[in-house]
Amino acid sequence: MSRSPDVVVVGGGVIGCAVAYYVAKRGLKVTLVDLPKRGRATSASAGGLWPLGESVGLGCGVIFYKALAGMGTLPDGVHGPGQLPRVFLDFALRSNAMFPGLAGELREASGIDFEFERTSLLFLMYDEGDVTFAKPLWEQCPCGKDLTEWLTPEELAKAEPAVTRAIHGALRFHGDDQVNPYRLADAFRAGARNLGATILTHTEVTGLRVEAGRVVGVETAAGPVACDLVVNAAGAWAAEVGRMVGLDIPVRPVRGQIIGTETLPEVLSACLSTTDCYLAQKGHGEVIIGSTTEEVGFEVGTTPEALKTLSAGAVRAVPFLKDVRVKRVWSGLRPGSPDELPILGPVEGLDGYLNACGHFRTGILTSPLTGQLVAELAVGDRPSFPVEPFLLARFRSPGPHAEDGTGVGPLADLDPPPPGSGGSR
Amino acid sequence: MRTSRSLIIIGGGPAGMAAAIEAARAGLNLTLIDEAPRLGGQVYRRPPEAFRVEDAERLGRDFARGERLRAEFSEIAERVEILSGTSVLGVWPDREVLWARDDVSGVFRAERLIIAGGAYDRPVPFPGWTLPGVMTAGGVQVLMKTMRVRPGRRALVAGTGPLIVGVAHRLHDLGVEVVSVLEAGDHRWVSGGVTAATNEWDTIGDVRSSLEALGRAGIPLLFNHTIFEAEGADAVEAATYGPVDAEAWQPRKDRPRRVEVDLVVTGFGFVPNTELTTLAGCRHHHAPELGGWVPVRDALMQTTVPGVFAVGDGAGIGGVLVALEEGRIAGITAAELAGTISADEASGRRAGPIDRLLSLAEVRALLGEISQIKPGLLELASPETLACRCEEVSFAEVRAAVDEGAKDLQAVKLFTRLGMGPCQGRNCASHVGMHLCQATGRVPEEVGRITPRPPAKPVTLGALAAMEGVAQTAAADPLDAVGGGAS
Repeated sequence: MSRSPDVVVVGGGVIGCAVAYYVAKRGLKVTLVDLPKRGRATSASAGGLWPLGESVGLGCGVIFYKALAGMGTLPDGVHGPGQLPRVFLDFALRSNAMFPGLAGELREASGIDFEFERTSLLFLMYDEGDVTFAKPLWEQCPCGKDLTEWLTPEELAKAEPAVTRAIHGALRFHGDDQVNPYRLADAFRAGARNLGATILTHTEVTGLRVEAGRVVGVETAAGPVACDLVVNAAGAWAAEVGRMVGLDIPVRPVRGQIIGTETLPEVLSACLSTTDCYLAQKGHGEVIIGSTTEEVGFEVGTTPEALKTLSAGAVRAVPFLKDVRVKRVWSGLRPGSPDELPILGPVEGLDGYLNACGHFRTGILTSPLTGQLVAELAVGDRPSFPVEPFLLARFRSPGPHAEDGTGVGPLADLDPPPPGSGGSR
Repeated sequence: MRTSRSLIIIGGGPAGMAAAIEAARAGLNLTLIDEAPRLGGQVYRRPPEAFRVEDAERLGRDFARGERLRAEFSEIAERVEILSGTSVLGVWPDREVLWARDDVSGVFRAERLIIAGGAYDRPVPFPGWTLPGVMTAGGVQVLMKTMRVRPGRRALVAGTGPLIVGVAHRLHDLGVEVVSVLEAGDHRWVSGGVTAATNEWDTIGDVRSSLEALGRAGIPLLFNHTIFEAEGADAVEAATYGPVDAEAWQPRKDRPRRVEVDLVVTGFGFVPNTELTTLAGCRHHHAPELGGWVPVRDALMQTTVPGVFAVGDGAGIGGVLVALEEGRIAGITAAELAGTISADEASGRRAGPIDRLLSLAEVRALLGEISQIKPGLLELASPETLACRCEEVSFAEVRAAVDEGAKDLQAVKLFTRLGMGPCQGRNCASHVGMHLCQATGRVPEEVGRITPRPPAKPVTLGALAAMEGVAQTAAADPLDAVGGGAS
């Protein structure tokens, strides 16, 4: 790789925009090629930054667990929502810690405020089962006790008067906050552009050009773009881009349905996670209620069942929502990876290529660190966070690879994914 | 509970009622879902039960015709499960229908489905178009027909086609001072054959008598004129208007006139309401003479989704007479599909409606042509004018998105959030679509549409939570089991 490679980023969701921003900040020539598709997770996301909640299986994890348990389809030996490995928690916490500074930095660089809000996340405990589940999370929280707080029903009622009183208390996670997800992507994109990046919107990538084991260019609907390095940040469509260079990237779309309410005065100060749904009130007043976890391919519809389940869950958590109107219902496609961890960094045997995909339900949260690591790799610096745990190579197995590259092959030899496969926010 | 229905008709206007009458006469039991508290739709809208109608004559011919259809309907009512005051939030391609009423919602699975969703007023943005006191012709009609309310004191009426004359007449009758009626087009529809034809054309009211009434009252009808701007702090206080060129209706803003009014009524024709046919998975095509995007149908009103019919203005603007015959054809065919009448019997029963539909074709085409707006009206909006009033997206922002490379409505939506509000694009899609065609040189098929999503109508979380006919995902709380097994 030359000292100053020309970079092409494929995909203009929050990850692609973050990569373009950090790469441009390094002074490299960067082009972002983007074709917005229906179901893009960045646009669908609720914008939660919940490193602790996500790592211990709250948010969509526990909702999905409940759904599986309700259908009687839990895998053998699974008791409780899956927890992610320590390395992911460290990765997520490190990225999360970038946000307060990033808010000012991007306001400066782009003129856009991505609405970073310190909310914390509350896990609501409806019954003894929830308490039994939450207690070890509190007592043995991998981050130490200072980031968690146990609220009695009285304390909860005082902190969040809108929340139901039929409750055993709540576990608070400090540092689990929120942003406006599309504003974040907009800010990264505008910041990158102001640093000299070229943004090709509404342009489809049709192929990658490889010469002698190295990516040398990107074919687009608007013509070829030569480059020394291509970054696959194609979200739920990452496998498709991987196939262009013969890579088998196990990313598949995982649908989440979400409800947004009409604009309300401030009724919630924290984000809420329950066994039925999560709730987050955004800066402009709408309450976002998510989310299902469904493997239905690239289908981006919504279903009556999900509307019912999410609405019932929201009304249970915050009873006055019963009389609140729905503004909009939508769905998004999380870029699901088999072990729920992102897929980052180089691939053996193919130069000039980096992955920045598979961010599943935490792409908003992990976008700054992802962008920073890719930029460090692009210039040949030692990454400031180890990428080894996130390499595509972790899925390599002695077994034969699936020919269509949908990820079935390499996955077959892995343990089944934990059931807490959660949702993008 | 029983969630399956052999026939569901969505919409209790003329098309839906006619479909119900024929299907029930042919022996089919059916469910009719209508948003309004009482059947009749927009044209045959009726005052609430509590109002006693003492002056039926003043309510016009539509009222009398509506009463006749209601009488026909009452003969078959026992075969009809009527869900009034009930909105349809969504339709799925497997003919699942999600409805809501007050604090409850539910899902029916329809073996056959007739969608008669009607139309809404075509919005035309101009500076001040979102001010209180600017109303569509349809909105004003609702106030006048159901509530007998006088919507203002001094009004300017602008738009195109015979409807604006009818609205102005009715406003005048209710004691509103109508300053002027502005027709953006020419005088074709007033003169000669069209007037004679429109005399039989209920949709647009009784044009001739309205014209005479306006003449007697000394209310000027100005051709090739339109509204330029509505002004006011919190509501309309004044409006400016002026001439447009005859060819493309480009406003000649150097010659404005200003009047003090508290009501501006706009009637630029109608847009078919295709949300439900779109959600049902029906294929649509763009037909300007029918009001824009409409479902593709065969001669028997069946869409490209088997068992799903589309009739009335929601399938292409045609007015009430067309809607009635289309409804009858669909009702008969639905019964034939259900097997309650034979194919021979069905084609016998369809012969009359098909003949009448044919005889309406010519005048329908003429009216379709007259009601089409011309692209010059796009110049009414200034960069600050809101294109999307729900999400408050201005035309300048739309322009910026186009400059960024957005070439279709879906892309503009992703860029600007246009169309993401509660109206789901009803107030912006048709107009911004035209705008995009002009800005990009593309055709409507390339510019596309804004994809609707359920809920197509307002609904509370409580009503969705109380959804009937759908299984709740998990009954017991599974975390109860966690304690023993967890680490």
